[in-house]
Amino acid sequence: MNFVVYNRELFVQNIKITGVASSSLVMVGDTETIQLASTFDTPAESLIIGPFVPLSPE
Amino acid sequence: MLQRTSCVDTINIKIVSFSSTVQIGDSCIINGLSRALAVQRESEVFYGNEGDLSSYQVYSEPIPFLPINESFTYSRQNPNPLIKVGRIDITGISSASLLHVGSSNHVSMEARIKHIRQLYPSPRNGENEGEQGQR
Repeated sequence: MNFVVYNRELFVQNIKITGVASSSLVMVGDTETIQLASTFDTPAESLIIGPFVPLSPE
Repeated sequence: MLQRTSCVDTINIKIVSFSSTVQIGDSCIINGLSRALAVQRESEVFYGNEGDLSSYQVYSEPIPFLPINESFTYSRQNPNPLIKVGRIDITGISSASLLHVGSSNHVSMEARIKHIRQLYPSPRNGENEGEQGQR
């Protein structure tokens, strides 16, 4: 594949964002590579119903 | 090849928290990592010494990336080497996130979150207020 880009005029008047969270990225500019990874674990066994047991200490 | 220049007139941010960054200017390599243990309990019980991340696999397991096998050539030309933005309004930047005005080379960001909910065994509805202390 041959990919050719011509960057002509780019003018954005307004950017309005409520939240940028959890290793997210807002970029005004160029970059060669971007690599974003995310894991979110909330399995069935993470819903604990019963007396509160402390999690393993630090 | 001429690099592009980024120009932002106004930036308005309310909160930047938890290892987040506002980068104004070019950079070369950015590595961001956020590890969060989110615990929700039905009542306000927090012991203060919890949070051994090594006992959860989600913080250590590798996140695989698909390899790019296709052969790929890329060229870019910048007849107008200016990225212009009038105004950026952001309420909050949190958890190793990034606002970057300028160019970079390699950006790699990672977030790992474990969410745990702890609830009382008995349902709350149909019970009177006096029983709360026993739960």
